[in-house]
Amino acid sequence: MSTLSLRRYLYQRYWRWISHYLDKRQPAADKVVLTQKLIFILPSRYGCWFMLLTALLYLLGTNYQNNLILLLSYLMLSLFLLCIVLTYQNMSGLTLQCPRAAEFFCDAPGIATIALSSAKSHFMLQLNFIDQDALTLEQQVDTAALTIQQSVRGCYPLPRLKISSSYPFGLWRSWSYISLQQQYWAYPTPIAGQQQQFSRDDNNSTAEHKTTAPSVDSLAPYRSGDSLRYLLWKRLARDPFNPVIRLQQHSPEAEPDWVEVPAVSGDALERALSIACQQLLVLEQNGNRYGLKIAGKTIAQSNGPAHLQRCLQELALC
Amino acid sequence: MLTSANLLLWAVLQLALLILLQEAFAWWIIAIYALLLLYSATAVLQKRSAASLKLANIVAALLTLALLLNMRQAGVLHFMLQILLLSAILRLFAMRHLHEARQLVWVQYFLIASCFILHQDMLLALIIMLLFGANCYSHYKLFAPAGARLNFTLTGRAVLIILPLWLGMFLLFPRLPPFWQIPNAKIASTGLSDSLDPGSIEQLVQDDRLAFRAEFSGTLPERQQLYWRSYLYEHFDGRTWQVHPQRRQQAVAPPTTAPDSATAGYRIIAEANQQRNLFALGMPYSSSQGVKIGSGGLIVADKVVSQRFSYSIESALAPLPLQSERERDMNLQLAAGNPKTSEFAAALRQQHTDTEQFIAALAAFFNQQDFYYSLTPPPLGRDSIDQFLFQTRSGFCGHYASATAVLLRYAGIPARVVGGYLGGDWHPQQGYLAVRQREAHAWVEYYSQGHWQHFDPTAAVAPERILQSLDMSLSDDERDMLIPFWQRSSVLQLLSLQLMHLDYYWSVWVLGFDDRSQQDLWRTLRQHIRLIAYSAVAIVVLFLVGMGLWLLHRRRLSKPLPAKQLLLKALKPALKSKAPAQSVSACLNELAKRYPNHAAMLQQLLQHYELAVYAGQPQAEHNLKRLLQQHKSSLAALNRAIKNT
Repeated sequence: MSTLSLRRYLYQRYWRWISHYLDKRQPAADKVVLTQKLIFILPSRYGCWFMLLTALLYLLGTNYQNNLILLLSYLMLSLFLLCIVLTYQNMSGLTLQCPRAAEFFCDAPGIATIALSSAKSHFMLQLNFIDQDALTLEQQVDTAALTIQQSVRGCYPLPRLKISSSYPFGLWRSWSYISLQQQYWAYPTPIAGQQQQFSRDDNNSTAEHKTTAPSVDSLAPYRSGDSLRYLLWKRLARDPFNPVIRLQQHSPEAEPDWVEVPAVSGDALERALSIACQQLLVLEQNGNRYGLKIAGKTIAQSNGPAHLQRCLQELALC
Repeated sequence: MLTSANLLLWAVLQLALLILLQEAFAWWIIAIYALLLLYSATAVLQKRSAASLKLANIVAALLTLALLLNMRQAGVLHFMLQILLLSAILRLFAMRHLHEARQLVWVQYFLIASCFILHQDMLLALIIMLLFGANCYSHYKLFAPAGARLNFTLTGRAVLIILPLWLGMFLLFPRLPPFWQIPNAKIASTGLSDSLDPGSIEQLVQDDRLAFRAEFSGTLPERQQLYWRSYLYEHFDGRTWQVHPQRRQQAVAPPTTAPDSATAGYRIIAEANQQRNLFALGMPYSSSQGVKIGSGGLIVADKVVSQRFSYSIESALAPLPLQSERERDMNLQLAAGNPKTSEFAAALRQQHTDTEQFIAALAAFFNQQDFYYSLTPPPLGRDSIDQFLFQTRSGFCGHYASATAVLLRYAGIPARVVGGYLGGDWHPQQGYLAVRQREAHAWVEYYSQGHWQHFDPTAAVAPERILQSLDMSLSDDERDMLIPFWQRSSVLQLLSLQLMHLDYYWSVWVLGFDDRSQQDLWRTLRQHIRLIAYSAVAIVVLFLVGMGLWLLHRRRLSKPLPAKQLLLKALKPALKSKAPAQSVSACLNELAKRYPNHAAMLQQLLQHYELAVYAGQPQAEHNLKRLLQQHKSSLAALNRAIKNT
């Protein structure tokens, strides 16, 4: 266990150091063409075994004073050396772009689309974001969908993309860490709330509202970020270690088709955001016009994918 | 990717390896390996899944045990080859994952290279290189996308890059002496051996294989002098001649200095014969590395010759001096038996007390009595010399040499039998002498006047054998015995001869390339360093000049016509804003419309311009130039007007 964590620690240190170096060498750009400056190349593990084989054959040839074995050994060495160029050529000239910002909910992995273009053909490319699953492209394609995961909502710059290949003989591995000037959005995970925070004029929804109403006077343990207004002070005086709040409706008088996020913080905020997220999705799905009120900001009622995106981004950034 | 084509390729490759390495395997190993391969191949063809790893492991354990038990008999080298091939075959037998395939390719590379320990023949080397290519291809397929094909232009380009790199390394990379002693293959030796039976040379003569090649630095000595000495048989047990045990213990002869008689310098490229005795003419006095001049003037290799091997010798074409008293006494020892021979020798010795006269009498005896030279002599029983000399009188060179040496010893003259080769086929164009096993020969050396004199009794019986070749001295039936059936066609014979010549160059330039040749190459390079530098500079200069000319040519092509250039220069602001698709004429027309007070001048310019460009009139170009000069001021006004708008 300790060796594992040590390795992890060392890897993190190494990665911090290398990203510092990479940031200076290749600052984020809209479009990156893989050139000599960006491509690293080192023997792969199989390449090391191949070199060992070459050395063994040289020993064998020398000991038997056998020119043919020596010839074979030199042939393999030349092949090994040529592979540096071939492996490099398989990477160079590839242009990468990320035209659209990826957006996804925190609970599920998102997809970032990378556009690839080149005058040559490239084989057996492996792409992945750092610490994420790799995608292997056997033949050249125009776009590659890469998974990306993030458990904390927000807007982040796209992490460095690792692109590597050991085509054609697997003796060398060429790779590049490239940084694309793009961001991605991790929206709060949508969860169905216990109570509807928006009310609609039709009867069905008011009935629903009433059924959830009995929770007004129920108690709940205090969570960081809960409003102090609902704290039961008397009870706190009795038992200072287990503060309790009155579970209340966040917006008892919600306006029609307005999604409102109450002014709380911490875990309560996250929960409120998740609930709001679900509501937005439902509203958009039903084709309603809706607006968002959040942290003193109001987004006017509207609908459509662009509007939903704007609302979700507000939730992510809150 | 693991495709069935790849699996099948590996099965074929391993079968080829099994055939190539069969010398290293006992028959039962070959049988088991072949069965395993057959199983793998049929599994691929019938699309069955490979055998389980458990089964493969059990087979591996059992076979390894068997191979270990067999190791003492097989030797370390063969054991290594057996284990390697076994691991490769079993890998294929239970192949499931890609990483296993990569290991397999690795081991196969090693096995393919090991084939060169056993085979250095040109044709076989070609086949082994093909196997290497096939393995390389399967290696590529492992790392390539599924269904990838070889791109021939790219492969060709890769080969073009590899070739100079490869050959440069081979020619220039430093060559080291062997690092440590290595186990040798246990293979039955070919050619002459430690003992000489009455029938051993006849058997050897039916072998058409090459024994060695020789190239001479000077002229080729006469055929009568081409007695290649290889073995000294000094111990006689009444029937068989053997190398004397004392001779074996004796390590190296005292160094001999360059003699005053005729000498010959030559290089020998010996085929692998799995023994240490090599070949030399007369009395060798200087040798290259890897061989020593042993006692009795024989050439002994430092280690068993298990692959084609070349060495150089300087020889004096003179009889060898006596090394010690003991050597003389050793060659007087006699075995019991052969009473008639003893009597005959004593009687003859009484007639001829002088040694030379005795030898002459012996030669006359063989020549005048009805002795026959035959490849198929009748078998001899007890007292074989008596039987041969006085009953059968039909024998091959071994019989004559043996009988002569015994006769000489009975007569009190120290004598010994020498085994080796006589003559060879001279190929004047290629400049080498090819000596085959069929040129194996035995003759006699007797002691007289402080030296071991040479005497060949066969010359007395069948002088054609000495002067021409073996074929001449045999009857037609016997000759047919020597020629393999496929050589009877003249086309095939010619082909095989050409192949042998090619094989000769192969052994001289590829197999025989050693540190000395490399040093020679370096020396030659250093001598011509100036020439090489000049030619390199010349090539670079030529290249640069060519580049320059090409660039100039391209620029001239893209340069606009002179008339257009004139206009461009004079009406820069106007023509600069011209759309690329618009012609100069159209642009001028438009300008004329826009600026009516310059219209007359512009129309004039246009007329001359079109004449110059489209009618190709040089006069119009000249006029255009003059016009531009004349209207300099109005052109300036026009340009200003265009700029201001």
